[in-house]
Amino acid sequence: MDIIVCLKQVVDPELPQTEFAIEPATGRQVREGRPLVISTYDENALEVALQLKDRGGGKVTVLTLGPQAVISDAFRLALAMGADEMVVVDDPRGPDRLGGEKAAILAAAIRRIGRFDLVLTGCESADWTERVVAPVLAEALSAACVTFVSRVEAADGTLMVRRMADEGFHRVEVRLPAVLSVASDESNRPRLPKLKDILAAKRKPVHVWPVADMPAAPGDLAAGVEVREVVIPQRTTRCEFLEGESAEQAAALAQRLRDLKLL
Amino acid sequence: MIGVDFELTTEHRLIQQTVRDFATREVGPVAAELDRTSRFPRELIARAADLGLMGVMVPEAYGGSGLDTIAYLIAIEEIASACASTAVVISVNNSLICDPLLRHGSEDLKRRYLPGLATGRLLGCYCLTEPQAGSDAANVQTQARREGDHWVLTGTKIFVTNGVEADVCIVYARTDQEPGARGISAFVVEKEWPGVTVGKVEKKLGIRASSTCEIVLEQCRVPADHLLGERARGFRVALSTLDGGRLGIAAQAVGLARAALEISAAYAAQRHQFGRPIAEFQAVQWMLADMATRTDAARLLMHRAAVLRDRGRPYTKEAAMAKLFASETAMWAAHKAVQIHGGYGYIQDYPVERFFRDAKITEIYEGTSEIQRLVIARHVLGMH
Repeated sequence: MDIIVCLKQVVDPELPQTEFAIEPATGRQVREGRPLVISTYDENALEVALQLKDRGGGKVTVLTLGPQAVISDAFRLALAMGADEMVVVDDPRGPDRLGGEKAAILAAAIRRIGRFDLVLTGCESADWTERVVAPVLAEALSAACVTFVSRVEAADGTLMVRRMADEGFHRVEVRLPAVLSVASDESNRPRLPKLKDILAAKRKPVHVWPVADMPAAPGDLAAGVEVREVVIPQRTTRCEFLEGESAEQAAALAQRLRDLKLL
Repeated sequence: MIGVDFELTTEHRLIQQTVRDFATREVGPVAAELDRTSRFPRELIARAADLGLMGVMVPEAYGGSGLDTIAYLIAIEEIASACASTAVVISVNNSLICDPLLRHGSEDLKRRYLPGLATGRLLGCYCLTEPQAGSDAANVQTQARREGDHWVLTGTKIFVTNGVEADVCIVYARTDQEPGARGISAFVVEKEWPGVTVGKVEKKLGIRASSTCEIVLEQCRVPADHLLGERARGFRVALSTLDGGRLGIAAQAVGLARAALEISAAYAAQRHQFGRPIAEFQAVQWMLADMATRTDAARLLMHRAAVLRDRGRPYTKEAAMAKLFASETAMWAAHKAVQIHGGYGYIQDYPVERFFRDAKITEIYEGTSEIQRLVIARHVLGMH
């Protein structure tokens, strides 16, 4: 099975809150000087792809959109983990594009890659959390789409997938080609590469395609969404002392929590 | 332009990140329990072998990872920052077994043992020390007597790291009745062979999850082709092996010192006394500053020795300096870490108590601090 995994590079979400900053004029997140990593669920998607390859063979291509100059070491690790090749769509504006635009460009890149059976993305990115790339990609590629997939099994030309649902999961049979967005699960915890594969990754092919060469229709690039303002929520804490004996305090506390709809 | 580059290469950074992930996710969470129960970390060693950590510098043709000394030291530092016991099990297998086999072994010995040792199917141990041959390593009394196409070994080795679990031993014995270093030869001995038994298993102050024991040889018949290097040249094998081994211990010590620093800095930031975090007190800041400075200096000494080694240049003095400074830094940093933690540093709820116990051995094994100073002084004085 030929699988394409879309990986997004984001500022490390584990950084302390004080490292998170937004440029007031543009509303873009400050990335300069911050460590960049592969977005959390994208690593789970890569692991799903590698497991499918381990079981049934095929090829895994990782695809990313962003400024080639700052593609981080993390992508070398993706190759070391077992991906066969990497395609970078060199796009200085990449990190600031909204999901619909991104999906249109990624779809053009996937058409250029050519053959594929399955496209995997993370179920949401660690920065914008839009959750739109997989459905828009599926539409653009005329492929089936299932979101929030936790497990995937190949079954005779189709896939049996487990889709997360409230208080349980759906089992869904999916025809190929398909686009799946992957959620984390104990079965798709990203593997660690072997040390020798870290060296070998240097020899794997990395293709860099300028974004201008991606024939996305201008209409596809219209996001349909306008970002008016980006702000960091200001958290404040307030302390309230409840008067009275313990029993009265407990009753008052319960009432306050009910008023706040926390109980 | 001539310059000194203190940056790690991309590959080294990725190796560091990978081993750090392994250490954080899998080693750290069980380290206290392994220490408390003195249990050998069998599952961790199997996982380490999967990643290629048991034969980091062994060429891929023999089943290893084919990396350089810096990569090896980065890996040991990361493991040691989570568990010094697990680090020494890995370090001994790499530095004291795979390395001499690679440098001095016949092609047959390399093909027979390296693939198993590098992939975790076999574990190695190093049998040099004897009751009367500690720092005076040339005073080996174990005898090797020639009988046809075999050598017959008799003697007792002590303080053998990994001895209980090991499959393959490198054993030093006296083949020739010459005084001191001149009559010693090195052998590759399988622990399952008749005449090899595990003697007393030691109960230790630290690194309690790695085994330390006696290996007793009684009329053990070793095929003549299991001689490692040339006959009566075994002491050279031992010394060159220990140069590399010392770097492994330096890396273990740097990992310990770094862990002591990181945990102390985090503790100092959240522990309040007199109405503010103790990190705001200069007494604590100075301890942290000195821990950071010494740890960095130790790592730089160690990496310098590694670069010399990888370039095929002499590095005995530099390895001794790295081992001396790193091990004394580990002990010092662990001491300060306990001090910063106060009473909490003295109890087992915090890892610095374990670091304190684990650090001490780095000043003793693979050459005490006194032996390192002796080696350095001989180089300084041109007496080597």
